[in-house]
Amino acid sequence: MTDFMLQRRQVFQSLIALSAVGGLAACGGAQDAPSGQVSGTAAPGYFNASEMALIAAVAQTIIPMTETAGAVQAGVPVTLQNLATDWGNAEFQQYWRDGLTALGTALTSEGGDSFTSLSPSERETALSAYDAGVFAGTTEDGFYRDFKATVVQAYYMSEPGATEELAYEPVPGEWIGCVPLSDFPKTWAT
Amino acid sequence: MSGGWVAKEMSEQGFKVAVIERGRKVTVEKDYTDFIDPWDAEHLNRKTDQDREEYPVQSKVYAFQSYTKQFWVKDKEHPYENAEGTDFRWLRGYHEGGRSIMWGRQSYRMSEIDFEANARDGHGVDWPVRYDDIKPWYDYVERFAGISGSMEGLDILPDGVFQPPHDLTCAELDFKANVEESFPGRRVIPGRVANLTEPTQEQMDLGRGRCQARNHCFQGCSFGAYFSSNSATLPAARRTGNMTLISDTAVHKVIVDETTGRATGVETVDIASGETKVITARVVFLNAGTIPTSMIMLNSANAAAPNGLANSSGMLGKNMMDHHSGARGSAILPGNLDKHTFGRRPNGFYIPRFRNHTEEAEGFVRGFGYQGGAMRERWWTSMGKEGVGADFKAAGRNPGPWRIGMIAFGEVLPNEQNHIRLHPNKTDKWGFPVPVLDVRWGDNERNMVRQAIRDTRAMLEAAGGIDIETDDPETAEPAPPGIGIHEMGTARMGRDPASSVLNAWNQSWDIPNLFITDGSFMTSGGCQNPSLTYMAFSARAANHAAELMKEGAL
Repeated sequence: MTDFMLQRRQVFQSLIALSAVGGLAACGGAQDAPSGQVSGTAAPGYFNASEMALIAAVAQTIIPMTETAGAVQAGVPVTLQNLATDWGNAEFQQYWRDGLTALGTALTSEGGDSFTSLSPSERETALSAYDAGVFAGTTEDGFYRDFKATVVQAYYMSEPGATEELAYEPVPGEWIGCVPLSDFPKTWAT
Repeated sequence: MSGGWVAKEMSEQGFKVAVIERGRKVTVEKDYTDFIDPWDAEHLNRKTDQDREEYPVQSKVYAFQSYTKQFWVKDKEHPYENAEGTDFRWLRGYHEGGRSIMWGRQSYRMSEIDFEANARDGHGVDWPVRYDDIKPWYDYVERFAGISGSMEGLDILPDGVFQPPHDLTCAELDFKANVEESFPGRRVIPGRVANLTEPTQEQMDLGRGRCQARNHCFQGCSFGAYFSSNSATLPAARRTGNMTLISDTAVHKVIVDETTGRATGVETVDIASGETKVITARVVFLNAGTIPTSMIMLNSANAAAPNGLANSSGMLGKNMMDHHSGARGSAILPGNLDKHTFGRRPNGFYIPRFRNHTEEAEGFVRGFGYQGGAMRERWWTSMGKEGVGADFKAAGRNPGPWRIGMIAFGEVLPNEQNHIRLHPNKTDKWGFPVPVLDVRWGDNERNMVRQAIRDTRAMLEAAGGIDIETDDPETAEPAPPGIGIHEMGTARMGRDPASSVLNAWNQSWDIPNLFITDGSFMTSGGCQNPSLTYMAFSARAANHAAELMKEGAL
């Protein structure tokens, strides 16, 4: 297990065990955070253009645009680029580079078409099959699990993910322990 | 936490107070980070390699985040050592307000049962006080601090002066009903927490407001809605005009006049310049935090007190306690899928101690209480779920099932073997000897954790929980000492100067104008979170000292 995965699980355990119900995403800290950046592939950094294209294509297939932003519109590839460039150490970077290379190969069609060259529906078909294999245990790809977890986290911590896809109240003002779901049907972002 | 109370009480009594703080001044504007949104979190709020390098111990605490690290010490600057074979995790922050900024805010009274415990089973020494002695002071500090909670009428966990409690969630109400039906001696109640749910005029006059249910407490609260020294006691002291806060100044020694046997003041070191100064006083209170208070007193040894100041009993630095944790459990509570919550509760439920009280126990004395909560699962479960595309996304939008999590905190017995000493030759960069902590848990703690796990499982099963997760009760160990962040007992109160450091008024037996009201004084620890007890004893001791000063005795 990579260090950051281990750490994430520790965060979850402490959230659950301590009922610190605000949680992981409840906050932030940085002055130079990537808020407002929503471009998919332009951010320069550790990942090269073809890696960024694969990241964007896979992330957007996991979380597509619907009536709300998809992963790309929410800036997930930029977040990942910044994570690898500014946060990740050499080991992390290499793990991601190797993982992306292998994932790109695994997702290349039998006819030799790269994942990024497929149409959105073809991408979904291909990734869906691959994802099912990973989660069924028939395909061994720990990187893909980490990648997916990171995409999901980056999406729901993004402004569109938190405030449009999910529900976010920066200052609720009060706590009510039991309300009808119909009054607040969406998952709270924090 | 406790020092702010002393400052408030003494300055309100008309005495000039110098609060000596080794850390920096804290301001809401510069230090609090409670208006940060999720998307502002740098790098998905992951700790950096540099964090782990600079904060190897602190970075593991649950409240250490990319935006809260300003409240935790850099371990590299503030070294300590563990005796061979021990693993104490010393978690702390050096700044105005200390841990009162980062504390968990759970606020429980100790009961008569706790104050009698040592006398009854023979561990440690008898408390020199009983519940009735401290009850009015609990009332007093609760009224000022603002504690939310419910009246329950339990002898093991006395009621207090409460603001309205935080509701239990729908799933917690079902859990409560199931547990209380299956186990008549157990109760599931709203946590009692130092967050204002209905602020008083006195609190509003200090600039404090109602809790906004953000659960950003560890980041500081711009609303002043939870009790901290910064939001409550220091402003109260400051408005008297009698309090001066001297920051960035470490106390290295208490100075004693060997002819009178009285403390005359303290020797301090300027953190920035290293300059040494003496600050004189009629009365000295030590509220440095349990470990630093012992460090200062051990470092204040003189010809008359070669083993440390006020240590004629030999008990200084000994009997270190914490609350042991390690019994954790979680489960899905089926049902209530048409229900939800609103807001973010900075709190949860509490299950008061029942072992060796309403129910027997084998293999240990004393007991444990639980903190927990049951909330609907959120998006993080999607991180590990199968699926892609619009259906996967849609599934994440719906709240998941109710997941309950709970953790037991148990009483640790006073044991002279568990102690603090000063390293014979290593010092920090200000020349202060590095402390060596020698603390380990014994059979009583281990057996208690294992029973707490069995009891967790039984309650989760009784509540119809599925996907129950706990450690193995046959092999589980308590979490390392220090993790409870409740260091206590190293300058204990007692009835006999031969076996205790402080008398019933938190006053040194040896040096009558020296008082200690941080966690050092605790004769036993109970299983309750101790800060409220520190507050009550601090206020009581300060008012006693003020009386003695007015009488001319001090």
